[in-house]
Amino acid sequence: MKKIVLPGLISGVVLFILSYGGLYLGIRFFPGLFMDYNNPLFNSESNRDGFFYMHAFVISFALSWFWDRFKGLFHGHFIFRGLEFGFVYAIVALLPVMWITFSAMDITLFMVLSWFIYGFVQAVVAGLLFSKLNP
Amino acid sequence: MLRLKILLLIAFGIFPAFGFVGSNMAYPIKWVLTNECTLKVNGSTNINKFSCVIPEYTKPDTLIFYKEQKNEPVKMSGSMALDVQNFDCHNPVMTSDLRKTLKVKIYPKIIIRFLSLNRYPDPNKKTDLIKGMVTIELAGTIRRYEVDYKYTAKENDNLNLIGTRQVKFSDFNINPPRKLGGMIKTDDELNVEFILNARILN
Repeated sequence: MKKIVLPGLISGVVLFILSYGGLYLGIRFFPGLFMDYNNPLFNSESNRDGFFYMHAFVISFALSWFWDRFKGLFHGHFIFRGLEFGFVYAIVALLPVMWITFSAMDITLFMVLSWFIYGFVQAVVAGLLFSKLNP
Repeated sequence: MLRLKILLLIAFGIFPAFGFVGSNMAYPIKWVLTNECTLKVNGSTNINKFSCVIPEYTKPDTLIFYKEQKNEPVKMSGSMALDVQNFDCHNPVMTSDLRKTLKVKIYPKIIIRFLSLNRYPDPNKKTDLIKGMVTIELAGTIRRYEVDYKYTAKENDNLNLIGTRQVKFSDFNINPPRKLGGMIKTDDELNVEFILNARILN
Protein backbone atom coordinates (compact mmCIF):
# COMPACT_ATOMS: atom_id res chain seq x y z
CA MET A 1 0.00 0.00 0.00
CA LYS A 2 2.82 2.38 0.88
CA LYS A 3 4.37 1.61 -2.50
CA ILE A 4 1.22 2.95 -4.15
CA VAL A 5 0.26 5.90 -1.94
CA LEU A 6 3.59 7.69 -1.57
CA PRO A 7 4.59 7.59 -5.26
CA GLY A 8 0.96 8.50 -6.11
CA LEU A 9 1.10 11.50 -3.83
CA ILE A 10 4.48 12.69 -5.14
CA SER A 11 3.35 12.16 -8.71
CA GLY A 12 0.11 14.06 -7.92
CA VAL A 13 2.04 17.09 -6.72
CA VAL A 14 4.38 17.03 -9.74
CA LEU A 15 1.52 16.55 -12.21
CA PHE A 16 -0.51 19.26 -10.49
CA ILE A 17 2.32 21.77 -10.98
CA LEU A 18 3.13 20.68 -14.53
CA SER A 19 -0.46 20.27 -15.74
CA TYR A 20 -2.06 23.40 -14.36
CA GLY A 21 1.11 25.44 -14.76
CA GLY A 22 1.28 24.35 -18.39
CA LEU A 23 -2.41 25.08 -18.87
CA TYR A 24 -2.03 28.52 -17.32
CA LEU A 25 0.95 29.35 -19.54
CA GLY A 26 -0.82 27.94 -22.60
CA ILE A 27 -3.87 30.12 -22.00
CA ARG A 28 -1.69 33.15 -21.34
CA PHE A 29 0.59 32.84 -24.37
CA PHE A 30 -1.62 30.97 -26.88
CA PRO A 31 -5.13 32.21 -26.06
CA GLY A 32 -6.38 31.45 -29.57
CA LEU A 33 -6.01 27.73 -28.93
CA PHE A 34 -8.53 27.91 -26.09
CA MET A 35 -11.34 29.81 -27.80
CA ASP A 36 -13.41 26.66 -28.29
CA TYR A 37 -13.73 26.22 -24.55
CA ASN A 38 -16.30 29.07 -24.52
CA ASN A 39 -18.81 26.37 -25.15
CA PRO A 40 -21.87 25.36 -23.11
CA LEU A 41 -20.51 21.80 -23.08
CA PHE A 42 -18.00 22.96 -20.49
CA ASN A 43 -19.16 23.74 -16.99
CA SER A 44 -19.42 27.50 -16.31
CA GLU A 45 -20.07 27.34 -12.59
CA SER A 46 -17.44 27.25 -9.87
CA ASN A 47 -19.08 24.41 -7.95
CA ARG A 48 -16.92 21.75 -9.66
CA ASP A 49 -13.56 23.54 -9.57
CA GLY A 50 -12.39 21.25 -6.77
CA PHE A 51 -12.97 18.19 -8.94
CA PHE A 52 -11.11 19.85 -11.80
CA TYR A 53 -8.01 20.53 -9.72
CA MET A 54 -8.11 17.10 -8.05
CA HIS A 55 -7.68 15.41 -11.43
CA ALA A 56 -3.87 15.39 -11.12
CA PHE A 57 -4.15 13.35 -7.92
CA VAL A 58 -6.89 11.05 -9.23
CA ILE A 59 -4.83 10.09 -12.30
CA SER A 60 -1.65 9.80 -10.21
CA PHE A 61 -3.13 7.35 -7.71
CA ALA A 62 -4.80 5.33 -10.49
CA LEU A 63 -1.53 5.13 -12.45
CA SER A 64 0.44 4.36 -9.30
CA TRP A 65 -1.79 1.36 -8.63
CA PHE A 66 -1.51 0.29 -12.28
CA TRP A 67 2.29 0.62 -12.16
CA ASP A 68 2.54 -1.44 -8.99
CA ARG A 69 0.49 -4.25 -10.58
CA PHE A 70 2.26 -4.35 -13.95
CA LYS A 71 5.72 -2.79 -13.46
CA GLY A 72 7.32 -6.17 -14.14
CA LEU A 73 6.28 -5.82 -17.77
CA PHE A 74 8.32 -2.64 -18.28
CA HIS A 75 12.03 -3.27 -18.70
CA GLY A 76 15.18 -1.28 -19.36
CA HIS A 77 16.30 2.23 -18.54
CA PHE A 78 13.93 4.25 -16.39
CA ILE A 79 13.31 6.68 -19.25
CA PHE A 80 12.32 3.87 -21.56
CA ARG A 81 10.09 2.33 -18.84
CA GLY A 82 8.38 5.71 -18.32
CA LEU A 83 7.82 6.20 -22.04
CA GLU A 84 6.46 2.68 -22.52
CA PHE A 85 4.18 3.10 -19.52
CA GLY A 86 2.79 6.34 -20.96
CA PHE A 87 2.36 4.71 -24.35
CA VAL A 88 0.44 1.75 -22.87
CA TYR A 89 -1.85 4.10 -20.93
CA ALA A 90 -2.44 6.21 -24.05
CA ILE A 91 -3.36 3.20 -26.19
CA VAL A 92 -5.41 1.28 -23.62
CA ALA A 93 -7.24 4.12 -21.85
CA LEU A 94 -6.95 7.40 -23.74
CA LEU A 95 -7.46 6.35 -27.35
CA PRO A 96 -10.85 4.63 -26.90
CA VAL A 97 -12.15 7.41 -24.62
CA MET A 98 -11.01 10.17 -26.99
CA TRP A 99 -12.46 8.26 -29.92
CA ILE A 100 -15.94 8.00 -28.40
CA THR A 101 -15.75 11.57 -27.08
CA PHE A 102 -14.97 12.98 -30.52
CA SER A 103 -17.68 10.89 -32.16
CA ALA A 104 -20.39 11.84 -29.67
CA MET A 105 -19.68 15.42 -28.63
CA ASP A 106 -19.55 18.71 -30.47
CA ILE A 107 -15.82 19.31 -30.01
CA THR A 108 -13.00 19.91 -32.47
CA LEU A 109 -10.37 17.40 -33.57
CA PHE A 110 -7.70 19.77 -32.26
CA MET A 111 -9.29 19.69 -28.82
CA VAL A 112 -9.37 15.88 -28.72
CA LEU A 113 -5.79 15.58 -29.97
CA SER A 114 -4.61 18.08 -27.35
CA TRP A 115 -6.32 16.04 -24.61
CA PHE A 116 -4.71 12.86 -25.95
CA ILE A 117 -1.24 14.40 -25.91
CA TYR A 118 -1.89 16.00 -22.51
CA GLY A 119 -2.86 12.61 -21.04
CA PHE A 120 0.06 10.85 -22.72
CA VAL A 121 2.56 13.38 -21.29
CA GLN A 122 0.99 13.05 -17.83
CA ALA A 123 1.34 9.27 -17.96
CA VAL A 124 4.95 9.45 -19.17
CA VAL A 125 5.89 11.85 -16.34
CA ALA A 126 4.12 9.59 -13.83
CA GLY A 127 5.89 6.53 -15.31
CA LEU A 128 9.31 8.20 -15.00
CA LEU A 129 8.61 9.02 -11.36
CA PHE A 130 7.27 5.54 -10.55
CA SER A 131 10.24 3.81 -12.15
CA LYS A 132 12.46 5.72 -9.73
CA LEU A 133 10.20 5.68 -6.64
CA ASN A 134 8.82 2.14 -7.00
CA PRO A 135 11.19 0.30 -9.30
CA MET B 1 -85.50 70.86 -14.49
CA LEU B 2 -83.56 68.27 -16.37
CA ARG B 3 -81.98 70.98 -18.57
CA LEU B 4 -80.95 72.92 -15.46
CA LYS B 5 -79.27 69.81 -14.03
CA ILE B 6 -77.40 69.31 -17.27
CA LEU B 7 -76.27 72.95 -17.31
CA LEU B 8 -75.10 72.71 -13.70
CA LEU B 9 -73.24 69.51 -14.47
CA ILE B 10 -71.50 71.18 -17.39
CA ALA B 11 -70.72 74.32 -15.41
CA PHE B 12 -69.38 72.69 -12.23
CA GLY B 13 -68.38 69.25 -13.39
CA ILE B 14 -66.94 68.97 -16.83
CA PHE B 15 -65.41 72.43 -17.46
CA PRO B 16 -63.30 72.44 -14.29
CA ALA B 17 -62.13 68.97 -15.14
CA PHE B 18 -60.98 70.20 -18.55
CA GLY B 19 -59.26 73.11 -16.89
CA PHE B 20 -57.46 70.86 -14.45
CA VAL B 21 -56.29 68.49 -17.13
CA GLY B 22 -55.26 71.25 -19.46
CA SER B 23 -53.07 73.00 -16.94
CA ASN B 24 -51.02 69.91 -16.03
CA MET B 25 -51.05 67.40 -18.86
CA ALA B 26 -48.21 67.64 -21.32
CA TYR B 27 -49.05 66.84 -24.91
CA PRO B 28 -47.50 63.56 -25.91
CA ILE B 29 -45.11 63.10 -28.81
CA LYS B 30 -44.96 59.67 -30.33
CA TRP B 31 -42.02 57.93 -31.93
CA VAL B 32 -42.73 54.72 -33.78
CA LEU B 33 -39.80 52.34 -33.78
CA THR B 34 -39.09 51.37 -37.35
CA ASN B 35 -36.99 48.57 -38.74
CA GLU B 36 -33.38 47.79 -37.94
CA CYS B 37 -33.40 48.47 -34.23
CA THR B 38 -30.55 46.45 -32.76
CA LEU B 39 -29.04 45.56 -29.42
CA LYS B 40 -25.31 44.93 -29.18
CA VAL B 41 -23.41 43.56 -26.19
CA ASN B 42 -19.62 43.82 -26.13
CA GLY B 43 -17.58 41.95 -23.57
CA SER B 44 -14.30 40.18 -23.05
CA THR B 45 -12.71 37.14 -21.49
CA ASN B 46 -9.05 36.67 -20.55
CA ILE B 47 -8.53 35.03 -23.97
CA ASN B 48 -10.72 37.00 -26.37
CA LYS B 49 -13.26 39.76 -26.93
CA PHE B 50 -16.79 39.10 -28.07
CA SER B 51 -19.51 41.12 -29.65
CA CYS B 52 -23.00 39.73 -29.64
CA VAL B 53 -25.91 41.35 -31.40
CA ILE B 54 -29.62 40.96 -31.75
CA PRO B 55 -29.59 42.15 -35.34
CA GLU B 56 -33.19 42.97 -36.11
CA TYR B 57 -35.99 44.21 -33.97
CA THR B 58 -38.93 45.02 -36.16
CA LYS B 59 -41.84 45.16 -33.77
CA PRO B 60 -43.70 48.42 -34.33
CA ASP B 61 -43.44 49.61 -30.71
CA THR B 62 -44.18 53.21 -29.84
CA LEU B 63 -42.25 55.50 -27.52
CA ILE B 64 -44.36 58.29 -26.03
CA PHE B 65 -42.81 61.48 -24.66
CA TYR B 66 -44.67 63.74 -22.27
CA LYS B 67 -43.00 67.01 -23.10
CA GLU B 68 -43.73 70.05 -20.95
CA GLN B 69 -41.07 72.73 -21.24
CA LYS B 70 -38.06 72.89 -23.50
CA ASN B 71 -34.83 71.77 -21.74
CA GLU B 72 -36.74 70.08 -18.95
CA PRO B 73 -36.71 66.36 -18.17
CA VAL B 74 -39.14 64.46 -20.34
CA LYS B 75 -41.08 61.48 -19.11
CA MET B 76 -41.28 58.58 -21.52
CA SER B 77 -43.20 55.40 -21.87
CA GLY B 78 -42.54 52.49 -24.15
CA SER B 79 -40.33 49.47 -24.24
CA MET B 80 -38.46 46.98 -26.37
CA ALA B 81 -38.78 43.26 -25.68
CA LEU B 82 -35.97 41.37 -27.36
CA ASP B 83 -35.58 37.63 -27.75
CA VAL B 84 -32.41 36.33 -26.11
CA GLN B 85 -32.59 33.44 -28.58
CA ASN B 86 -31.83 35.94 -31.38
CA PHE B 87 -28.40 36.84 -29.98
CA ASP B 88 -25.65 36.21 -32.51
CA CYS B 89 -22.01 36.27 -31.36
CA HIS B 90 -20.68 35.47 -34.88
CA ASN B 91 -19.50 32.13 -33.48
CA PRO B 92 -22.10 29.40 -32.89
CA VAL B 93 -20.34 28.03 -29.82
CA MET B 94 -20.10 31.44 -28.13
CA THR B 95 -23.66 32.25 -29.13
CA SER B 96 -25.03 29.17 -27.41
CA ASP B 97 -22.80 29.81 -24.39
CA LEU B 98 -24.16 33.36 -24.01
CA ARG B 99 -27.75 32.14 -24.35
CA LYS B 100 -27.12 29.56 -21.65
CA THR B 101 -25.50 32.18 -19.40
CA LEU B 102 -28.51 34.46 -19.82
CA LYS B 103 -30.80 31.52 -18.92
CA VAL B 104 -32.76 31.75 -22.16
CA LYS B 105 -34.95 28.76 -21.35
CA ILE B 106 -36.28 30.40 -18.18
CA TYR B 107 -36.07 34.06 -19.20
CA PRO B 108 -36.43 34.29 -23.00
CA LYS B 109 -36.73 38.10 -23.20
CA ILE B 110 -34.58 41.13 -22.51
CA ILE B 111 -36.89 44.05 -21.86
CA ILE B 112 -35.70 47.65 -22.04
CA ARG B 113 -38.23 50.11 -20.65
CA PHE B 114 -37.69 53.76 -21.46
CA LEU B 115 -38.46 56.00 -18.50
CA SER B 116 -37.21 59.52 -19.25
CA LEU B 117 -34.80 61.81 -21.06
CA ASN B 118 -33.03 64.67 -19.33
CA ARG B 119 -34.48 66.85 -22.16
CA TYR B 120 -36.23 66.36 -25.45
CA PRO B 121 -33.79 66.35 -28.40
CA ASP B 122 -33.46 69.76 -30.00
CA PRO B 123 -35.20 69.45 -33.41
CA ASN B 124 -33.01 72.25 -34.79
CA LYS B 125 -29.85 70.23 -34.24
CA LYS B 126 -28.74 67.51 -36.59
CA THR B 127 -27.16 65.59 -33.72
CA ASP B 128 -27.54 65.90 -29.99
CA LEU B 129 -26.13 64.21 -26.91
CA ILE B 130 -28.60 63.54 -24.13
CA LYS B 131 -29.04 61.29 -21.15
CA GLY B 132 -31.98 59.24 -20.07
CA MET B 133 -33.21 56.63 -17.65
CA VAL B 134 -34.17 53.09 -18.58
CA THR B 135 -34.77 49.84 -16.81
CA ILE B 136 -33.25 46.66 -18.21
CA GLU B 137 -34.87 43.36 -17.35
CA LEU B 138 -32.53 40.44 -17.85
CA ALA B 139 -32.62 36.92 -16.44
CA GLY B 140 -35.52 37.84 -14.19
CA THR B 141 -33.83 40.86 -12.59
CA ILE B 142 -34.72 44.49 -13.29
CA ARG B 143 -32.09 47.21 -12.94
CA ARG B 144 -32.41 50.95 -13.49
CA TYR B 145 -29.65 52.75 -15.41
CA GLU B 146 -28.76 56.17 -16.73
CA VAL B 147 -27.98 55.83 -20.43
CA ASP B 148 -25.96 58.10 -22.72
CA TYR B 149 -27.82 58.75 -25.96
CA LYS B 150 -26.66 60.12 -29.26
CA TYR B 151 -29.55 61.51 -31.25
CA THR B 152 -29.29 61.99 -35.01
CA ALA B 153 -32.07 63.60 -37.02
CA LYS B 154 -32.76 62.21 -40.45
CA GLU B 155 -35.05 63.11 -43.31
CA ASN B 156 -38.86 62.96 -43.13
CA ASP B 157 -39.15 62.97 -39.34
CA ASN B 158 -36.98 59.91 -39.06
CA LEU B 159 -34.34 59.73 -36.38
CA ASN B 160 -31.67 57.53 -34.95
CA LEU B 161 -31.02 57.18 -31.23
CA ILE B 162 -28.02 55.25 -29.97
CA GLY B 163 -27.99 54.43 -26.27
CA THR B 164 -24.87 53.12 -24.56
CA ARG B 165 -24.31 51.91 -21.04
CA GLN B 166 -21.88 49.71 -19.17
CA VAL B 167 -23.57 47.02 -17.10
CA LYS B 168 -22.34 44.01 -15.17
CA PHE B 169 -23.37 40.36 -15.23
CA SER B 170 -23.47 40.56 -11.44
CA ASP B 171 -26.05 43.40 -11.59
CA PHE B 172 -28.46 40.73 -12.81
CA ASN B 173 -27.30 38.03 -10.39
CA ILE B 174 -25.55 36.20 -13.24
CA ASN B 175 -22.16 34.65 -12.66
CA PRO B 176 -19.84 35.53 -15.56
CA PRO B 177 -18.98 32.28 -17.37
CA ARG B 178 -15.74 30.60 -16.32
CA LYS B 179 -14.19 27.48 -17.82
CA LEU B 180 -11.46 25.00 -16.87
CA GLY B 181 -11.62 25.68 -13.18
CA GLY B 182 -11.65 29.45 -13.68
CA MET B 183 -8.57 29.56 -15.93
CA ILE B 184 -10.75 31.04 -18.67
CA LYS B 185 -12.79 33.85 -17.17
CA THR B 186 -15.33 36.24 -18.64
CA ASP B 187 -15.07 39.81 -17.37
CA ASP B 188 -18.04 40.95 -15.32
CA GLU B 189 -18.45 44.17 -17.31
CA LEU B 190 -20.44 44.39 -20.52
CA ASN B 191 -20.94 47.34 -22.81
CA VAL B 192 -24.53 47.49 -23.99
CA GLU B 193 -25.49 49.53 -27.04
CA PHE B 194 -28.98 49.78 -28.44
CA ILE B 195 -29.72 51.49 -31.71
CA LEU B 196 -33.22 52.77 -32.22
CA ASN B 197 -34.52 53.92 -35.56
CA ALA B 198 -37.80 55.76 -35.21
CA ARG B 199 -40.20 58.08 -36.96
CA ILE B 200 -41.85 61.02 -35.22
CA LEU B 201 -45.62 60.79 -35.57
CA ASN B 202 -46.82 64.21 -34.49
